[in-house]
Amino acid sequence: MYAGPSIVAVLVLALAGALSCLVLRRPHHVLMTIVGVSAVELLLALNIWTAALGPKGFVTAADQWFYIDAFSSFHIVVLTLVFVLSSAFASIYFTHEAGAFTVYVARRFGVLWLGAQSAMLLVLVSNNLGIMWVGMEATTLLTAFLISLHPSRLSLEAMWKYLIICSIGIAFAFMGTLLAAASIQSDGGVGADALFWTKLGSAEAHLDPTLMKFAFVFVLVGYGTKAGLAPIHSWLPDAHSQAPAPVSAMFSGFLLNTALYCIMRFVPPVQHALGQDFTSGLLIVFGTVSILVAAGFIVFQRDAKRLLAYHSVEHMGIITLGYALGPLGCFAALFHTLNHSVCKSLAFFAVGRLGQRYGSHEMISIAGALRADRLWGVSLLISLLALIGVAPFSIFMSEYQLLRAAIGAGAWVTLVLFLAASGVVFVSALRHMIDMAFGTASRHDRGGRDGKLAVPIVVAAAGLLVVLGVWMPLPLYDAIASAAAVLAGRP
Amino acid sequence: MYALIETIHAAGLLTCFALLSTSRIGACIRWLSFQGILFGMVPLIIPDDGLTTRTLLMAGGSLVLKGIAFPWILLKLRARANYNREVQPFVSFVMSILCGILILSLSVWLTLQMKPALIHAPFVLLNSSIFLIFVGLFLMISRRNALMQVIGYLVLENGIFVFGVITVVGTPLLVELGVLLDAFVGVFVMGIAIYHITREFGSMDVDRLTELRG
Repeated sequence: MYAGPSIVAVLVLALAGALSCLVLRRPHHVLMTIVGVSAVELLLALNIWTAALGPKGFVTAADQWFYIDAFSSFHIVVLTLVFVLSSAFASIYFTHEAGAFTVYVARRFGVLWLGAQSAMLLVLVSNNLGIMWVGMEATTLLTAFLISLHPSRLSLEAMWKYLIICSIGIAFAFMGTLLAAASIQSDGGVGADALFWTKLGSAEAHLDPTLMKFAFVFVLVGYGTKAGLAPIHSWLPDAHSQAPAPVSAMFSGFLLNTALYCIMRFVPPVQHALGQDFTSGLLIVFGTVSILVAAGFIVFQRDAKRLLAYHSVEHMGIITLGYALGPLGCFAALFHTLNHSVCKSLAFFAVGRLGQRYGSHEMISIAGALRADRLWGVSLLISLLALIGVAPFSIFMSEYQLLRAAIGAGAWVTLVLFLAASGVVFVSALRHMIDMAFGTASRHDRGGRDGKLAVPIVVAAAGLLVVLGVWMPLPLYDAIASAAAVLAGRP
Repeated sequence: MYALIETIHAAGLLTCFALLSTSRIGACIRWLSFQGILFGMVPLIIPDDGLTTRTLLMAGGSLVLKGIAFPWILLKLRARANYNREVQPFVSFVMSILCGILILSLSVWLTLQMKPALIHAPFVLLNSSIFLIFVGLFLMISRRNALMQVIGYLVLENGIFVFGVITVVGTPLLVELGVLLDAFVGVFVMGIAIYHITREFGSMDVDRLTELRG
């Protein structure tokens, strides 16, 4: 119902929420606003989702400039879900920083937080690849100051690296977008809707294969920088480790997926012009390299947040790999996107709160977390177990589906490399986790209540990971299947 | 017409080599401003249908932003770091020029690869745009001063701007204006970032930003 207006509403609401944060008088009010806005956004997103899965198969507004199909609506739901969880967590996290979280910092946080949300939504609802790029660039600029919300030498260093590296990446992505536009071969002039992905991916588009090849390489490297694909991931561990925990959760939980979404929007047109092997080959290489590089770094990590950051590189690699492995792989990749976003958010919440209690994110300092803080200790245990793919959790299920897809596609080398890297990650992350969760509790701050929202957040996130691991509801299955079908070129 | 295009190409190459070999940041900012004005004229001379509101808006927007606004912001920032106005390259100036020549040959080769698919784009401008992109990248990685990284980024942006104007005939105005706005906000954000960095570290030397690793 009212799906078209809902699209406009999600954008306007996030923007209006961002602006209203400018005039609020108390940090507490800012936090309430972001929680409220995010909750309404989730409801609107669910509304769009049901409409996009309806018989028509898409929702559109503003003369097709906004166009949402099963693939984008799935991402919108995951995005708003991550934002609800992270906003609720932010309201807990920042109350424990009462001294540093002044009204000015709170306003800055509120504006940038909701601004980043609206920019990401713009990326997901846009039909025009140029507007999509504008939204992506806006996320870089808006989120840069979220990393250095509390300016310090380390956070400024992380922010500068993020800004410079991602600006270069985004510039490359723009070059790719331009090349895609230049590849349109038509006798007459090119219309205003030429850069619509609905147009580029359709059968009528005549695209120059050479230029499309260049375009995809530029897009993959450009947006891949933002998605944290190795070897162009170098900003990611710094930014994730220095940003406040809710921001890291949002980065890992959704910002990376937005960039991956942009890459995947280019895949149908490129496949149309060049056949399937070209895109699959490149995606497999980037995915596998990311998994391997991340596995290598995870072994030697000492900082808990950097550990989670490298896990993000690994899981982005897994999702990219999934997208390259045919329809079954796309299904696994999308399911993995949901699982990873929820799980990584929970992990950053736990590490963030434990870090506040212990006064450090060094894994050596966070010992005996289970005893020191029951709620977040258990969350840390669950989320880390889920992240490395232990059986009852949903990440195990999506990785298992991915293995089946790899076997089905006959990608044996990839399969072996993936299994080897997963083995390394499993063993080393398990060691890190045991050190943090068990053992004798070191010196920590006993005070600090978590408020009413803490238990619901943990129950929601952990519950989702467990339930989806053992039982996939039919509507969700259908939704993911139709999203995967979009990537295979069947609307 | 063609003579004008070739003049822009030649002058553009000169600004790049000037940027590669200049040691004073103030001079680099002026070269950048000149380059922005130079390539801001491209939308006026390229399209066949002559002057339209659209080409005027694009040229005007880029002249104001790249010729005036960006250099002004950069000069303001430079004034803050009053004791250190040198570029501080990781790569010496002679080596930089040699690298510039290498990049020029690479860009000619790339242009030759792309040209057959881009029939309408003038060869020399296609070459300048690719050259600008790589020189911008080179400046970003070979200079130690944070301001020079922003300058490199803007050279890269100039290259992409020219590439867009000469290759894509029909992109919507909305997208082009979005791009200009993005560049503006980008420089603004980088400016604020540099402001914070100089306050915290007492210099714009990005060589000091090396505590996070591994």
